[in-house]
Amino acid sequence: MATWIFYILGAVAVIATAMAVTRRNPVHAVIYLVNSFFALALIFYLLGAPLVAAWEVIIYAGAIMVLFLFIIMMLELSPGEDADRKGPGPLQWLPVLLIGGSLLACTLLMLQLDPGGGQELPHWYASPRDFGYALFHEYALAVEVVSFQLLFAAVGAFYVGRADERKEKMGDAT
Amino acid sequence: MSLLELQALLPQIILALGATAILMLGAWYPSRKWILAGVGIALVAALCAGFVSPAVAEVAGLYSTGRYACFFVIVWSLLGAFSLLLSLRYAEIHDLPGSEYSSLVLFAACGMGLLSAATSLIGLFLGLEAFTLVFYVLIAFKREDPRGAEAGLKYLVMGAVATGFLAFGISLIYAASGSFHLPEAFVGLQQTAGGMRTIGLVGWALILVAIGFKVSLAPFHLWTPDVYQGAPAPVTALLATGSKGAVFAALVPLFTALGPLKADLEVILWVLAALSMLVGTLAALPQRNLKRMLAYSSVVHMGYLLTGLLVGGRVGNRALLFYLLAYSIATLGAFGVLSSFSRVDDEPQEYTDFRGLGYLHPRRSSVLAACLLSLAGIPPLVGFFAKFGIFSAALKGGYPGLALIGILTALASLYYYLSPIVVLFMQQRDARQLRRGGRHEYIVLACCFAAILLLGIYPAPLLDLLGSLLP
Repeated sequence: MATWIFYILGAVAVIATAMAVTRRNPVHAVIYLVNSFFALALIFYLLGAPLVAAWEVIIYAGAIMVLFLFIIMMLELSPGEDADRKGPGPLQWLPVLLIGGSLLACTLLMLQLDPGGGQELPHWYASPRDFGYALFHEYALAVEVVSFQLLFAAVGAFYVGRADERKEKMGDAT
Repeated sequence: MSLLELQALLPQIILALGATAILMLGAWYPSRKWILAGVGIALVAALCAGFVSPAVAEVAGLYSTGRYACFFVIVWSLLGAFSLLLSLRYAEIHDLPGSEYSSLVLFAACGMGLLSAATSLIGLFLGLEAFTLVFYVLIAFKREDPRGAEAGLKYLVMGAVATGFLAFGISLIYAASGSFHLPEAFVGLQQTAGGMRTIGLVGWALILVAIGFKVSLAPFHLWTPDVYQGAPAPVTALLATGSKGAVFAALVPLFTALGPLKADLEVILWVLAALSMLVGTLAALPQRNLKRMLAYSSVVHMGYLLTGLLVGGRVGNRALLFYLLAYSIATLGAFGVLSSFSRVDDEPQEYTDFRGLGYLHPRRSSVLAACLLSLAGIPPLVGFFAKFGIFSAALKGGYPGLALIGILTALASLYYYLSPIVVLFMQQRDARQLRRGGRHEYIVLACCFAAILLLGIYPAPLLDLLGSLLP
């Protein structure tokens, strides 16, 4: 049973990603990408890694997608030529409904059957506690290096993105 | 992590904390003097790497503190100090903020030091990303310059894709062997029948794409000329020397750890080396812009370095490291002269800007000529011994094809290295008088000039040192 659920989820993930890549409307693409992330999260759960599954939803589908939507909003992209006032037609909403529906069905099926529950997996595959211990003991130095990198990335983004005061003054003068 | 481990990593910690300290103090006291403070911090880190003996051999299973690693920490710290010295006048005439610039360069040096010391694939990834991330910003540091912004964006997009390839490759190797640490990570790739497992080959293919981008091997070299041209000259000096050199310094232990499995990668490395030499030469021949010419010629030099890596062993690796240092010194000198030639409005880089400049500024032009001649491999200079070492190692190591391509491209390189010298010294003077260079620039140029000459006449001590560093 778990094998069948995996194949369904794998197909959903591939189709959703292909749709995300080919959409012209960025918001539609984001919706498909979120569905693809959900499918991946379910696959991780099926493999017996609930922690990774939770991250996939929280970090990718949650945080990063919201960031994408913010950027799309900030860029104020004008809607494409084919967009009209009538709202999306069935060709637009039917695929995403099918994908979302099959994901929901898989989730319910997994809740019912619990295909991964019988397997005895090593403890550290799943436990947030063990993961956290490894991250901040064995890889503490790596975490520090990454945090330095993020600091300098923030400095760089701030420096490059800062509006040029002199130019603004010149713009006001003219 | 214990205190002893922290002490063993002291040079890198000095660089990273010094960078953040300058960043923070610069917020209260903005001044270009912070660049000089950065020079001081880099020199302290270099001294520390040279004289404080580390208590443990490896830190957290990520970074080595052996003599090889310490040597390269010294090299990249000194390089950071030199490129900051080159930037002092440049930052003044182009109105660049001192503290941000200085802290970014220091952190880039820290990342290079970490990369050369990596003993684990995670350490390698983190070190590489540390300085690549900084370069995204440094390349676009002149904000009013649209060419700089274009170069920064190009490097960012291509670099992000390369980072993705590297992460995929490392994760595949981890999936095959269950370890990030060298050499265990590669031992797991061994097939029982001999040779590398398919998953390992796919992983290595992805890693080679990323490495090809970072050191600009053909066919991943297309970003190089635009980024060299658009970036500020002192930043290009650091990019052309440190960011490529640190990768090669990390590749030497990586390929040593790979052991006999290297045979599976031989064909693809051979093709990459030959393509880099040929494509770089053909593209460099028609250039009439010094920065673009140096960019394409750096692709050729990367091909030579890859030849040394392919030969491997003590002889090949020693030739590679010597070539790396010779190339870095001469490239630093050439971009140093370019940044000292820079004007308020622009940097002269077209050959027409240099016409007859040798008569107006004989000393700086001579240094530029010496650097170009060393890169071309003219006998009394260090570049000759470096090239000789690589070619003789390739011949002895059983790669006569690569040695032949190398010798032919080295002959062709005379054309594109001599033509700017002809423009400088043998054409009618219609160049404008440039400003006097800064005192700090002259220090760097004098050091490069002296190193090119002295190491060319008497390379034995450096060769012995490099030989003793290798395992």
